[in-house]
Amino acid sequence: MSASFETIVMEMITGSLTTIFNLLKVLVPLMIIIQLLMVYHIIEKMAARLEGLGRILGISKNAMFPLLVGVVMGVSYGAGTILEINKANPLSRRDIILVGVFIFLCHSFVEAVILFSSIGANIFVISGGRFFIAMFITILASHIPYGPLRETERH
Amino acid sequence: MGSVRGRFGVGYLAKGLKERYPTPNRPRTDKEQERKTMDKFFLAIKDGTIKGLQTGLFLLKIMIPVYLVVVLIKYSPVMPWLERIFTPAMKVFNLPADGVVPIIAGVFTDEYGVIAAMSGFDFTTAGITTIAMISLTFHSIPVESAIAQKIGFPALPFGIFRLFSAILIGILVGWLGGVFL
Repeated sequence: MSASFETIVMEMITGSLTTIFNLLKVLVPLMIIIQLLMVYHIIEKMAARLEGLGRILGISKNAMFPLLVGVVMGVSYGAGTILEINKANPLSRRDIILVGVFIFLCHSFVEAVILFSSIGANIFVISGGRFFIAMFITILASHIPYGPLRETERH
Repeated sequence: MGSVRGRFGVGYLAKGLKERYPTPNRPRTDKEQERKTMDKFFLAIKDGTIKGLQTGLFLLKIMIPVYLVVVLIKYSPVMPWLERIFTPAMKVFNLPADGVVPIIAGVFTDEYGVIAAMSGFDFTTAGITTIAMISLTFHSIPVESAIAQKIGFPALPFGIFRLFSAILIGILVGWLGGVFL
């Protein structure tokens, strides 16, 4: 141990309390935003308008909604949406893989941006940078002509 | 799912959404009739506030243990050892050797673990941004691989894919961050 016992205990108490307090200042607005997004069905409306983006990424119209849900809110909800859609109208393997690649690279957008910019990360890198990197890798993946990613696998 | 988002995420919030916020084109019951358009907005704000406070309370259980472990590691003999091993690796990302602690914390917990671990050290803006980008790509691997498997992603290739993207993104952001931030 390179520090005295009191220093460590004091740092534990003050540090964890400040962290929690700072987090609460962020969590409440965050949850309000997510609640408003859901109550006004904003994501469904966005999905209908963003067909062009879907074409760039090489995914079909049906897969746009789970993609947006995953990107805006989080992986678990995006995956839940995929499972839900699969019950009624199954997505192709290609769509599921491309959506997965995108949402596992760039998910819970609102949460991540608010949280990490509050502790001092650069907001443009965290939002724009992350989104474009995910988009770039997804576009690359959509051009792989082998295996389940072949264009012909599309429904 | 044992994750924070699994339990307190939107899936949890969405429960009973239609009953609580009736849409006008559905057949109305007496109770639904009472709520007007503005009520819906304020109700959403009220619900959001309550959910935020609940999530904060729930996060206490994760944040405090992570923070305690991080402070203990910081002053224990493990830290110089970690620093010696990870200094070359962290140089690739333009980070100080301390940067490995939030990244490792993030792999096993989630974003909130990264933040708890990060507040135990002092990083520059560029350092925080680089750690954030690496951790946001490669975090909560146990929980998220389970989710991935549910929608038909094999766990191992999935983990390798995320690891490699995280390394690439880390190198890119670390390099750019050293120049611009």
